This record gives sequence, C-alpha cells and structure tokens, in this order.
Amino acid sequence: MLAYAAKRALLAALVALTVSLACFFLVHLSTDIAVAMAGEGARAEDIDFIRKQYGFDRPLGVQYAEWLGRAVRGDFGDSLYFRIPVAKIVWQRLPVTATLGGYAILIALGLSIPLGVLAAMRPNSWLDRLALAIAVVGQAMPSFWFALLLMLLFGVTLGWLPISGSDTQAHFVLPAIALAYYAAPAIMRLTRSGMLEVLGSDYIRTARAKGLRPMAVLFKHALRNAVIPVVALAAVQLGFMLGGSVVIETVFALNGLGYLAWEAILHNDFPMVQAIVLLIALIYIVLTFLADLANGWLDPRIRIA
Amino acid sequence: MTAGRVVLAIAITLALAGTVQAGKRDDTLRWASNQVPESLDAYFNNVRIGVIIAHHLWDQLIYRDPKTGQYKPLLATAWKWTGPKSLELELRKGVRFHNGEAFDADDVVYTLNFVSNPANKAVTQQNVNWIEKAEKIDAHKVRILLRKPFPAALEYLAGPIPMYPNEYYAKAGPKGMSDKPVGTGPYRVTEHQPGRLVRFERNKDYFKESPRAQPTIGKLELRLIPDQNTQAAELMAKGLDWIFNVPPDQAKQLRAVRDLSVVAGETMRVVWLAMATREGTPTPVLKDIRVRKAINHAINREAMLKTVVGESARVIYTLCFPLQFGCTDEGAPRYAYDPAKAKALLAEAGHPNGLDIDLYAYRERQQTEAMIGYLRAAGIRANLRYMQYAAMRDALREGKAGFAHQTWGSFSVNDVSAMMPVFFKFQADDVNRDEKVRDLLDAGDTSVNPNVRRSAYKHALTIMAEQAYVAPLYSLPVYYAHSKELEFRPYADEIPRFWETRWK
Amino acid sequence: MAAILAPDDLVAPTPGALMRRRALRHAGLLIGAGVLAAVILMAFAAPLIAPHDPYAQDLGRRLIPPIWHDTGNWSHPLGTDMLGRDYLSRLIYGSRISLLIGFAVMLVSGLIGAALGIAAGYFGGRVDLAVTYLITVRLALPVILVALAVVALVGSSLWLIILVLGLLRWDRFAVVMRSATMQVRGLDYVQAARAIGCSTPRIVAGEILPNVANALVVVATLEMAGAILLEAALSFLGLGVQPPLPSWGLMISEAKSYMFFSAWLITLPGGALFALVLAINLLGDGVRDVTEPEGRN
Repeated sequence: MLAYAAKRALLAALVALTVSLACFFLVHLSTDIAVAMAGEGARAEDIDFIRKQYGFDRPLGVQYAEWLGRAVRGDFGDSLYFRIPVAKIVWQRLPVTATLGGYAILIALGLSIPLGVLAAMRPNSWLDRLALAIAVVGQAMPSFWFALLLMLLFGVTLGWLPISGSDTQAHFVLPAIALAYYAAPAIMRLTRSGMLEVLGSDYIRTARAKGLRPMAVLFKHALRNAVIPVVALAAVQLGFMLGGSVVIETVFALNGLGYLAWEAILHNDFPMVQAIVLLIALIYIVLTFLADLANGWLDPRIRIA
Repeated sequence: MTAGRVVLAIAITLALAGTVQAGKRDDTLRWASNQVPESLDAYFNNVRIGVIIAHHLWDQLIYRDPKTGQYKPLLATAWKWTGPKSLELELRKGVRFHNGEAFDADDVVYTLNFVSNPANKAVTQQNVNWIEKAEKIDAHKVRILLRKPFPAALEYLAGPIPMYPNEYYAKAGPKGMSDKPVGTGPYRVTEHQPGRLVRFERNKDYFKESPRAQPTIGKLELRLIPDQNTQAAELMAKGLDWIFNVPPDQAKQLRAVRDLSVVAGETMRVVWLAMATREGTPTPVLKDIRVRKAINHAINREAMLKTVVGESARVIYTLCFPLQFGCTDEGAPRYAYDPAKAKALLAEAGHPNGLDIDLYAYRERQQTEAMIGYLRAAGIRANLRYMQYAAMRDALREGKAGFAHQTWGSFSVNDVSAMMPVFFKFQADDVNRDEKVRDLLDAGDTSVNPNVRRSAYKHALTIMAEQAYVAPLYSLPVYYAHSKELEFRPYADEIPRFWETRWK
Repeated sequence: MAAILAPDDLVAPTPGALMRRRALRHAGLLIGAGVLAAVILMAFAAPLIAPHDPYAQDLGRRLIPPIWHDTGNWSHPLGTDMLGRDYLSRLIYGSRISLLIGFAVMLVSGLIGAALGIAAGYFGGRVDLAVTYLITVRLALPVILVALAVVALVGSSLWLIILVLGLLRWDRFAVVMRSATMQVRGLDYVQAARAIGCSTPRIVAGEILPNVANALVVVATLEMAGAILLEAALSFLGLGVQPPLPSWGLMISEAKSYMFFSAWLITLPGGALFALVLAINLLGDGVRDVTEPEGRN
C-alpha cells in the first residue's frame, strides 16, 4: 500500500509541475502584459516603464523559475488589476466556490444515487427509463439558460430564493442546483451500472439464497460495493465543478474563483489567471490522488496493477 | 411523506432567510455595476464605476454645475490665472476629511505633486501630466504651475482630480486609500470587499457651503453583478433599487413593470468608425477617400439611433461631443445615408464587387453587428474582431488593425482637448496623421483665447470631415432603471449623483 | 442476461442481423438518428429552404414575434431578431455552424485522443505510462478557463474555437480507447496476427480499430454534444463564435437580455440546440445499447 501511495504521489507531483509550466506559458506566450496594464490613454513611454518595472523584459525561463519559486511559498505576486496580493483575493474567494461545489456535489449525489439504485433494481422499467431521460435531458441544455430559468422561476416569479450574491446559505441553493444538474447524470449512470454488476454477482445471489431480506441485501451488500467507484467519480466531478463554475458564478454574481478567473482573463491580470488555474488544477490533483488511495485501499487489485 | 415535509420546511426557511428587501425601509440604496474598479483610489483606476465612486467620496477644488456648465467654488473658493502657466487658488477653511484631518494647502500640494509625478504611475497620465508642480503660498492658498499653457485646466480640476488628505495618503498610499478611502465628500466608505461590494454611509458633517446638495439617503450598497440580466432580475425582485447601462430594448420593456421607473440620459461618449490611413496601414483600401466616403454613406445613423442605440442620444457629424467646448459641425460636409451612392463610390474606387475588411470592436456588440449589416448592404463584407479594449487599442497602435468601431468618453471633460488630440495629434492612437490637423489642434490646445481656440478646432474638424478620416456616428445614451421610490435625475457626464437622490 | 428467444430467433441469426434488429426496436436510437438526420439535412439544404437571407437586416422590422403571437405575420414565421433579421432563416443557417463545431471539434479531439489511447493500450509499458500522465495533466487543467484565456488573448474566431476545444477535449477519447484497446489486444486473433508478423499499423487498422469502433462512436457522440454546449457557454461569456454568424449558441446568448419579456427569442434557438444535443446523446446511448446490450453505463 505504501509503495502504491508513493507512486501515486510522485505522479501527482509530476503532473502538478507540468500544469504549473502550462499555466505560466499559456499566458506569457500570447500577450504583451505591459500594454494591457497601461490602460486607456497610455503612452509608449508608460508601457516601456511598466515593462522594466515588472521585469517583463527578461527571458521567460528566468521569469518562470522565479514565479514557481515564489508560488511554492504561496506568493503569486500582486494582482495587476487590483494591485493587492493575488493570494489574498484568491483565499477570500475560494470559500465561495468551495461552498458552491460542496453543495452541488451533495445535491448531485443525493439525486443521482437513489435514482441510479432504483433504476438498477428495475432495469428497463419506466423508472429506469425516467432516470435515463433525466440524465439525457440534463445534459442537453446550455447551463446558463437553465440557470436563468431557475432564477426567473424561483427568484423573480415565486420570490422564494435570493437571486444573486453569496451573503447567506440560501444564496447558494439555486447556483448549486444549476451546477449539480450537470454532474448528476454521470454519477447516476455509474451508480446504475455498478449496482447492476454487483446485483448480478455471485455473492449477492448467495446472500439472497440464504434468505436475507431484499432491502438488507441491497443496502448492506450491494450498495456498499457499488458506491466505491461512485465516490471516486464524485471527487473527480467536484474538481471539474470548481473549474467549470465560471458560467454559474457569472449568472448568480457569486464572486467566487470561477468568476474571479474570468474577470482576470478580461483584464489581462495574468498573475491572477495563473494562480487560479494552478490552484484549481492542484485541487483536482489532490482530489484524484485521494480517490486513488481510497480505491487502492478498498480494492487490493488496483494496487498491484 | 416525511421527506416531502422536510423539503417543504427547508423551502420555507430558505424563503424567509433569503428575501432581501431593498430600499426605503432600511434607508439603504442598493445598486449594482457590471465592472469593478481595480482600486478605489481615483488616480489608480480607469473605469467608469471608479469615477462614479470618486465623486461620492471626494471633492474637487472646483465644481462644474452640470445644469449650467458654470464653474463654482468647491474646495477652492477663488482662483485666477497669474500667467499662462500659473494658476492661484484660495482654499476653503473649516472643511474636514472623514478621518478628522483638516483640509488645507498641504493636502492640495501633496495630492497634486504625488499624482503628477510619473514615477507614481497614476493610471491616466493625461489627467495629471499637464501639472508641473503645486506650491503652498500659505495655509489656505496654493499655486499650480503648468508644463505648458493648458486652457482646459479648470475642467480637469473640476473633474478627475479629487483632493486627498496628505498625512493619511503619505502613510497609506494608493493601496491604503483603496482599502479605506478617506475624503471630504458626501459619502464615506464603511466596507470595501475588492471586486465584490462597497458599502457607503452618509457623511453627516459634509460642509454646508458645498454647491453640491447635502446627502439624504443614509446608506449606499454597491454590488458587482456581472451579468446584466441578473441585475434586471434583482431589480424586478426588489433586491436592487437602481441599475444602469440597461440595454435599450430591455429598458423599454422594464418601463412597463409596475414599481419601476426608467430614465435615459445622453452621455459624452461618442461613437465612430476609425479608418487608418497613415503610413503602413493594414487596410490600404481605406487610403482611398472614396472608400472612406462610401463607409460614411453606408450607415443609417438615424435608424440605429431609433432602435439599437436608444433615442436619448444624437447623431454626430464631426468627431466630438456637441456640448464640448470647441465642438461644432458647422461648415463640415455631412454624409447622408445612401447605400446606392456608397456602392457607386466603391465601384469608382475599383471595388465593383465590394471588399473584405476586418472590423475591430470592444463594446456594444449589437451596434457593431448593425454596422456590419449596413456595410454588407453596401458591399463591404466586414469580419468582426471583438476583443477587450486594451487589445484593440494595441492592435490599432501597432498597425495590425485599421478599421474599428471606436468610442471615447473624454473622461467627462467638457472640452474637445480631451478628445481630438488623442486621436489626431500624432500620438499613439492617431491612425491618420494629418499634419494640418495636428497643427490646428496644437494651436487650439495651447491658446488661452477662446475665439482662437474655437476657430482652430472648427477648421480642424472641417478638414477631418472633408477627408472623411472617420465616420462619426452618434453619442451614446445610458439607460437607468430604478425603484419608483427613488427620485433620481441623470446628467450627461454619466455620473449618477446619489447625494442629491432621495426617497419619495 | 438470459434472453428468451422468440421462435423465429431459433434459426441462429448472424450477430449483425441481431444488432440491426435491436437497433430497429430501440426508440431512443431511432429518434436520435432521425432528429440528427433532419438537422443535417436542414444544414445542407439551408439555401433552398431558408425564406430570407439570414444576414439581411432591417432595423424597421425588428423584434417581430413568431406567427403564433397576435402580432406575428407570415412573412417571418418565426419572427425577426433585434436587428430585424428573419429568425427562421438564421435558425436554419445556424444549424450549419453548430453542426460544424460539433463535428470538427469531435474530429480533432477524436484523432488526438484515439491515437494516444490506442497507442497506450496497444504498446502498454512506457508508452502507456506517458499517455496516462498526459491524460492526467490534461484532466487537471480546467477546460473552460483555459479555453477562455486562449480565446480572449488570441481573439475569437470560428476556427480558433474549434481548434482550442479540439485540443482540450481529447481526454475521454484517450481514456476509452486505451481500455478498449487493452481488451482487444489480449484477444486470440490479435495475438495471432502478431505472431505471423503483421506490421503494427496493419494490426491497428485491421484488427484493433474495427473492434473498438463501437466504443469510439459512443464517445464521439458524447463529445460532439459536449462541444456544441461548450461553444454556447463561450458565447454566453462573449467569447464564442462571432456575430453576425448565426450559431445557435450565439443566438441564445444574444437573446438573453430579452428572456424576461420576449422569451421566444431564446426558447427557439434554445429548443433547437436542446433537440440537437438530446438527439446526439440518444444516438450515442442507442449505439451503446445495441452494440453491448449487456451493459449500459
């Protein structure tokens, strides 16, 4: 197990390093930062001045090494736009996105595991088809449209829920539903197929043959085994949600990491863009690493492979 | 059905917790913007919302009455030119900053010397780079020395140059000023979450002699809501009391909503099609005056104004805002909407089958799209390149872009020297480079004689129109939608004045 | 999965015939294929069936509602948009752009992903390790943020969007192709082909590809649908396809400020996009059901 964990950790570290390289060069190769910083009405001298002041005239390799060295210590420099440390703003915004992602994954799991189990218990029944229909329909609507419709119905027409902002927990309900809607189908499908496989396996048949009540078989034996890959998938989906929440955050004015990244992109605030992309990537890497460990721990076969 | 009950209970709790009622009841005016100022320090942001905030927190030396255009005393009680490059001002006594610091000559001298020093990197250099330095004459008297004669100086002193407390600013710097701004203005900041929200509170001690109205609304809360639709939804659900920059069509529809008022105001921002003709232009076709005239004839300005732009604005025929000092379209040729003539001109210029060109744009994309539609009808197939302002300006400056849907707001400065020199005085943004125009603008910008200035600008504007260097289109309106409980009045400088806004 | 055989199945049918029979009974597959075929037909026949020029604007005739509204009229059955362009014609031409984005992105990402996945699955060992590593790196990068950053910096155009999305969305192809190839590699006839000294390209083309084709089709449909939706999201943020090109995603996002009062402006392209994406997903699900009836997942 230790050797397995070490191997996965090494891979994770290597991936993180590559991602940092990608983050850095992605922005640096495609724009002239100094011009972007100078703003409306700037003269050529101002731009030159900024270029020297911030060291944009040095070789990229040097700039990367320096950036990485500071990033490891949690220092991403000052935001070009807000002119305060990037880390400060990012830490302010992270809780919003984390809360949103947390609620969304809970909603997605709460919706899709029961649906997946029900569907697996009665394959090809109307319930199964309904679950499938929800899964397919859920993935066919542009997320911002769905989000705006939710807002129109529950915020404007019914007035049940707040429309925008992140002041109270209630503010997270609509955005979390909108975000969860897109993660739910994948989780549901996996639950269903996992359950089908487990229910068809020998030991469940044995348990049934021993005369255990169907519900006990379902929950004590089948679900426990089927849910392992689902948890791993949920971790991965959570990682995707953090990166994909920009549209939902924009619609609901949530001011989390996703919207911050989008704003930073618009303002060519490249230290900010780099920091957020790197942070989201790191969270994803850690989540998958934990999922790997959990899988390896629960299923010895994976460790050896 | 316990699960059902739980869901219901949750829904009810959330409903109770979630409803924020905006407005009169808690004496808080909630408003929203789709952009955030990078800094609350007025010298370190260059976005409209930053200008709006600045007018609430600080006072300028001079006040320009938005109704009459007259200059009135604000922090300075009197001023006089003691030479073409020297201005002396008497300062008001008894004014205090939000932190209790008394306002005096040291504040003016420190503020002006700090922001005009290029090393301090004030974002919009042209607002301050005409200042050589400021000197203290006595505790309530200062002298401002100019780098060269600059007739629009008073206009700038009445606009983008607010006065800061010297002791606090020296200690806090632009960063501290953004975190906890301190001014003399009718509102003070109680909370600032960068990029998210700013809370204001009425300055109860605002000096009574100010020509600005005394504030009556207790609190203001500004939130960043990026999506315009979300703002409209919040307004309808009473989560907000006031929004601006509502698209014209939505404004029309919001007018029908009970409890809401929609007002429109013209702004100083003018819109035109820029056409690069200088050496090395990426669009050599535009060097042919017939093509430029064809473009001028292709666009139906009146129809656009009535529909996608909004009716509170006006068509312009020269490159300036009609109310600015020096702006006129007298004597300048007008190019009426005439697609047939546009086609004929193109054919004459050797493009009987039309031509393809890249059109750069950065805001009001629906208007760009309408322009593309008109150009297409005249045979000009414009391919849209939509980007951020900085990227477009860069492309124009470096000669990668030659045809652009441009706009300019003149920083709400009521003088053409805040507009024409930027685009026609051989600076980076000048894509035409006409020496005659440059010399005329130079004469207008540096003379202190209003008549000399007027005639120089008029002559320059006429040449620009005769040469069809640009296709001037229209000024932009801005639509405000707000709760009926508010009494709000818009002005042409695009600055909402919450100090004179009140609850009905 | 013991299926009860109907009497006419007693004459052992070929696997192909079985599959065809299953396909013809699969409602989702038929509906999906039908709708997709209709959209493709519409895209090809656009100039013949569109009543107006989709780019011809008339500011005097803007925001005419569709025919089922009181003020609608037959010259514009689905009304006109905010610039007075015929909405039906723009929807018809819009199918071209949305399909093009879906197909092209799927093609680019499919080529990259399938090549990497098959290489990893076939060669195993270090190649597999390298590909797995690449997949992990790719998955760690948030697609939408990276796509936004690139498009914002380079400037948006149809082909750039296709390229960026294609370069970013190959991961699922690679993952699925890798495991599918691994399964096929162990099969007897592939081993046999290797033993008799067939060249690697020949084995891949002759033995591997046909056997992983079904899985490939399933992923391809999912990816195509995903790409169409992603372009809509980019359009919402202003960085998708550029106007006046009529992509459905762009039409939805341009109509968003009209959704409270002129909902049809958004429901028409929204409905069209929904139907297309749904059809592609149904087709993908159907193909999976028909080719591997024992395991939907």
